[in-house]
Amino acid sequence: MKQNNKGKKSKWFCSKCGGPLEEGPVKAEYLGGNFEIELLECPKCKNVLITQELAAGQMLEVEKSLEDK
Amino acid sequence: MDLEKLLSMQKLCINDNPAACVTECPIHVDVKGFICEIRKGNFEEAYRILKKRMPFINVIGLVCDHPCEALCVTNTSGNAISIHELEKAVVIYGSIAKIKTLPMPKVDKKIAVIGGGISGIICAYDLNQKGYSVDIYEKENEIGGSLLNMPEIILNPKLIKEEIIKLEEQGIEIKLNQEITPEKLKDITLEYDAVFIGSGEWNEKFNVDEVTMQTDTEKVFAGGRIVSGCESVIQSVQTGRCAAVSIDRFVYKKSLTALREKEGSYKSILKVDMENEKISPRIKPENGTFTKEEAINDALRCVQCECHKCVKACVHLQKEKLDPKAYIRTINQNERIILGDHYANKTINSCTECGLCGAVCPTSINMADIIKETRISMVSRNKMPLSAHDFALKDMEFTNSKYFELIKHQPGKNNSKYVFYPGCQLSATYSEYVIKTYNYLMEKLDGGVGLYLGCCGAPAKWAGRQEQFDSSIEKIKLNLEKLGNPIVITACSTCFSNFGENLKNIRIKSLWDIFDEKGLPLGAKSGNGKILAVHDACTTRNEKGIQESIRNIAKRLNYKIEEPEFTKKNTKCCGYGGLVYYTNKEFSREVTQDRIKDSGNDFLAYCAMCRDLFVLKGKKTYHILDLIYGSGKEEISDMKVPTLSDRRSNRIKLKKELLDSLWGEKMEIKDEYNDIKIVIGQELRNKIEDELILDGDIKRVIGYAEKTNDSFYNPENGHILAWKRFVNITFWVEYKKVNDSFNIINAYSHRMEVKGV
Repeated sequence: MKQNNKGKKSKWFCSKCGGPLEEGPVKAEYLGGNFEIELLECPKCKNVLITQELAAGQMLEVEKSLEDK
Repeated sequence: MDLEKLLSMQKLCINDNPAACVTECPIHVDVKGFICEIRKGNFEEAYRILKKRMPFINVIGLVCDHPCEALCVTNTSGNAISIHELEKAVVIYGSIAKIKTLPMPKVDKKIAVIGGGISGIICAYDLNQKGYSVDIYEKENEIGGSLLNMPEIILNPKLIKEEIIKLEEQGIEIKLNQEITPEKLKDITLEYDAVFIGSGEWNEKFNVDEVTMQTDTEKVFAGGRIVSGCESVIQSVQTGRCAAVSIDRFVYKKSLTALREKEGSYKSILKVDMENEKISPRIKPENGTFTKEEAINDALRCVQCECHKCVKACVHLQKEKLDPKAYIRTINQNERIILGDHYANKTINSCTECGLCGAVCPTSINMADIIKETRISMVSRNKMPLSAHDFALKDMEFTNSKYFELIKHQPGKNNSKYVFYPGCQLSATYSEYVIKTYNYLMEKLDGGVGLYLGCCGAPAKWAGRQEQFDSSIEKIKLNLEKLGNPIVITACSTCFSNFGENLKNIRIKSLWDIFDEKGLPLGAKSGNGKILAVHDACTTRNEKGIQESIRNIAKRLNYKIEEPEFTKKNTKCCGYGGLVYYTNKEFSREVTQDRIKDSGNDFLAYCAMCRDLFVLKGKKTYHILDLIYGSGKEEISDMKVPTLSDRRSNRIKLKKELLDSLWGEKMEIKDEYNDIKIVIGQELRNKIEDELILDGDIKRVIGYAEKTNDSFYNPENGHILAWKRFVNITFWVEYKKVNDSFNIINAYSHRMEVKGV
């Protein structure tokens, strides 16, 4: 699972500290399945951004397949 | 789930049973199968199918006396499919078919066949195929028996000779001019491993076992006319074949009688619905024999018997390409998967549990019952996909919370002879009608009419959450006890059936029966003879009284009633049943569409969800309360359908209004972020509706983000992107603040939990 951020600098900034977002490994979990995903996050405030593309795409697929296990 | 129970249901399905033409044929030629090939013009494949069951095919195929035709389901006024003419055509046009045969290993056993008539030839043919060495003893100077007496136009003697030569080439020895007397038989019996007598006449009497064709003499079997007692060619074939099976078993000392119930003609149990079949007249061969084209056209008249009444009626079974037998097999497999995907979960969660399959099935196999059990089993094994029914269950929780639940005696009374239970969806769509109805009931009924707002537990039941359903029913039972066990008046047929089935000793009445009995309120507008197609709710399938009341009310208001093909006990689902509306929205829409096509007239429904789903698909539909309390104008038949968010706020509003206007009580429930003003365009509205995102979810995300500043912002356009996780879903909202309201740009959600860096 990977968010496609390549080649485009994120237009989003952290509201809290005003800083730019950076790509980094983030832990995610669903139904006992653990994943590490490269996601955009605020390196200072640690807030992580999930795009619709990821939520409705690969993430949904993984959720569905875990639900059917 | 109880596997035995499932398997036994599977056995009840009659669809796999052969058609009457096949069971009536003494040797069970796959008539339906070869006709199917003729329809495609494939005579060679038809020949292969015919040959599988028919020995000595090039002769028998031309002279069979076809008892099948009399039993053909199309045999009304003499129009049965010309099965015999078709089999002739198959022999004529298909015998060039290449058929691969594996040479049977020779068996070191010798069989004597006495009499070279039809049964003798068949017995010899079958045993030769099994590898035996067979000698035919014939008293005349050629074999063929009664075949030789056939008119030349039916059977050319030259052809018989050719076919007999083939028998000899296969290794059958034919001994001509050999009359076998009872004395000679004794010698032959000693010399051979078994003997078959098919001589047509025999001067000694012997008893022949009907099932095995064995005579009193163990080694001697008999067949043909002396056994069948008739001239039927195909019966003689059957006795020869039957004896060959017995001889084979006898020689190898196997049971002669085991598993022989279905040899010879028997009655087919397949039921075929001919009501809507139009049978065109028989096609007569212009020149005595069918041309290929004539054969194809006659074969096209065949209805290709099958039952599949359920499949024909149910769009779910059609879509999944499953009949009950295959479906039960699929469920069984899905239940047993230990490693790997439960591939059938989506299928199982796409049944509307409407019960139509059970209503039309000749053996009453009701997939709804099986699916209900399966879902319960999935939940109990923790294998039910979490997302499938989550929204509906949360909605049920909401409906049974302080936001909607209300249990009251009639204002000014301390007891209730009745209690009105409008249900959750009528309250969400037609809150105004609910108030009017309650006032009507209080006016018409003596002894006090209480009010109970809540959910009957249907979502838990559909979701297979048995425990949750049971506890919800238990709670309702206690609440009714507190009210003094009044007669429950339900508007919703799902509430009616859930209460009726699960609350012991409940006294229950449908609101529609009350309207029918007590008369309609003054001011109800006339329908002026407008025709409406009644759509019965699937949960009233077996409630004739409710169905009648609805029709009576409509007729009294001067509407004309159209009964669609699927009506009353055979009604179809609207697309909401079994929570399919949430689990498989795309398919739910197909179910709605499938129902809509059943009539060109506007619909009359009496379940709020049925009405809403039809209207969403563009079908003008009146709710029965539209007839009673509506303006009489056509617009109400396509009145806007509330969104999922509207449904919740309408329920809150209804409770608030009732409490205020009838009991003078103020409802004080305040949500922290409820007053946030949001603006959502229609396109996004449709998207969030499909993705089951509520306005309340959006407001809470914004409220939380505005308070904590936990969000992202885009300096180019001033948009904010915020998120908040509620229970098991993270909602994301992209928005822009404009004055004192928030324009919603986008909203989406996911279930996976991001744990951070």
